[in-house]
Amino acid sequence: MTNKLEVRNFSKQFTSPGGPFRKARAMHAVNDVSFDLPAGRVIGVVGESGCGKSTLARLILRLIEPSTGSLKFDGDDLRAKTPTQMRKLRADMQMVFQDPYSAIDPRYTIARAVMEPFEVQGRKPQGTAVEEIDALLTMVGLNPGLAGSFPHQISGGQKQRVGIARALALRPSLLVLDEPTASLDVSVQAQIISLLEQLRDDLGLTYLFISHDLSLVRYFCDEILVMYLGRVVEALPDTDLPARHPYTATLMDSTFAPDPKLRRVITSLEGEVPSPFNLPPGCAFADRCPGATAVCRTETPILSALDGHPVACHHPL
Amino acid sequence: MLEVRDLEVAFGPVAPLSGVSFSLAKGETLGIVGESGSGKSLTAMSVMGLLPLSGGRITAGSIVFDGQELTTLAEPAYRKLRGARLGLITQNPMTSLDPLQKIGPQVDDVAVLHLGMTGSEARARTIDILGTLRIPEPQLICDRYPHQMSGGMKQRIVIAMALAADPDVLVADEPTTALDVTVQAQIIRLLDDLVKERDLALVLITHDMSVVAQTCDKVVVMYAGRAIEHGPVEAIFDAPQHPYTQALIGCIPKGLSDDEHLTGIPGTVPTVLNYPTGCPFHPRCLRAEDVCSTDRPAFVQHGQSAAACHFAGAAP
Repeated sequence: MTNKLEVRNFSKQFTSPGGPFRKARAMHAVNDVSFDLPAGRVIGVVGESGCGKSTLARLILRLIEPSTGSLKFDGDDLRAKTPTQMRKLRADMQMVFQDPYSAIDPRYTIARAVMEPFEVQGRKPQGTAVEEIDALLTMVGLNPGLAGSFPHQISGGQKQRVGIARALALRPSLLVLDEPTASLDVSVQAQIISLLEQLRDDLGLTYLFISHDLSLVRYFCDEILVMYLGRVVEALPDTDLPARHPYTATLMDSTFAPDPKLRRVITSLEGEVPSPFNLPPGCAFADRCPGATAVCRTETPILSALDGHPVACHHPL
Repeated sequence: MLEVRDLEVAFGPVAPLSGVSFSLAKGETLGIVGESGSGKSLTAMSVMGLLPLSGGRITAGSIVFDGQELTTLAEPAYRKLRGARLGLITQNPMTSLDPLQKIGPQVDDVAVLHLGMTGSEARARTIDILGTLRIPEPQLICDRYPHQMSGGMKQRIVIAMALAADPDVLVADEPTTALDVTVQAQIIRLLDDLVKERDLALVLITHDMSVVAQTCDKVVVMYAGRAIEHGPVEAIFDAPQHPYTQALIGCIPKGLSDDEHLTGIPGTVPTVLNYPTGCPFHPRCLRAEDVCSTDRPAFVQHGQSAAACHFAGAAP
């Protein structure tokens, strides 16, 4: 199996410039992230708000530049590409955004919205525009009759389908899905996930799926990366595996089963994600971790594999 | 403690809510569940007497709280109840707090207004309540502004305000929807503990069946402004009678089975202007037959739960 994506030692540091009343500060939004995404697989990136999931997505499409690290797409070094080359390549790697309400220009008809990628790339669809619009809308399960509607006339779930149709317009091989269902009702979320499953099978797509919902990621993805404060703390090669990092275990404990017989005693994690500015040395999770010891507060654990199941913890479960 | 019977709400000529009934005792948690637009929040607003704010009114049915009829209660009397004996937690903690006022005074106001306390008595009480909600360093928090706090912490402050006057009934409208999963788990646990420790009656409004399964004793499933199934939580999950309830449960991934397949519910919730005739769910229902589009189904009792479906209890 060839790798669609190879990410090596990706880091992104943001700096907040100082002013008369405050010092300059730096934060590591993404810190030393490496992974391979094999063609045809679905990798889920999971973590709470502020863990760097969305920054990672933007780095992969080079919408922002990493501070350090390398990135290969189909074996090609992306960081060596000029902006013009990059623009062409992006036709093959597209993104679906979290908020379908703000991802589509409210003044565009649905037809124009799904044809916009062709405009941007200066390309023509294979058939006529009308045929293309019909084909794209049908592909995402929308009635082609909606082509003349405006975004405000359709529901949130339909808008997200339009967002997916736009992303698919140029027939990419990789889709980066940034919380595509977070703003939708559960019933619509299930529809969208089922559509994404079907599109993956029909078109042979590769997905990077970003979400905060571990049960959804376990259902939908082949592999899982768990992120905490910019770092990958655990990489589950199979979604059925038990957690080895205490943070992953907490995330699993925080999701409820839709069955009152499986009601659990919530072992609530005290505290919240600390500020990513000026992180203390050691494991970023140490302050919230029930099993933290002295070494956790001094040495940053490195992601090391044991039986092909990497975890960054001094005391894995 | 709280008994709602055949509640109907109208905004001018349209009636977005009708035929909603449930009852709730002290120490119980009732889940009201359904998709967006099914009338869950409107039910909460009706109980809180806040409908006139948005131009709605209750046209039929009754809401009895601790022996007192609320639908005919005048606003000054309602004001005395609301916040004092009926607490409300809204979905978005960011908009429930005044951004220009420090946390302390916002919470103090409730005790000053409803319990007639002086400022310093109220502050002592505020610090006490913040402590029971496991908020670290309550004294310091009182001097903070909302923007200096995280979403989970703000939601705790909103819960503190709802609890400040020691209410009997707490209505929580999607209290965890805007929060991260670990914070959601903390808030759910907190609400659970409060129900047990304070013998509260909690109305929990949510669209997430897994939250219902985790916390509720009783469930009302709503669709298009109507209750379509109700019963004890075990019965609802063990043997859901209404196809809509079955579909809602089927929207949540259960976890580890590879054979599992999510389908979602085809179509969308109708708006109030085009509620379907007959059973409101029939256009989206896989089991619908001709009768479903013409006759409104009555509730059929099945064990401890009841569902409004012509084919209630038939195998899915």
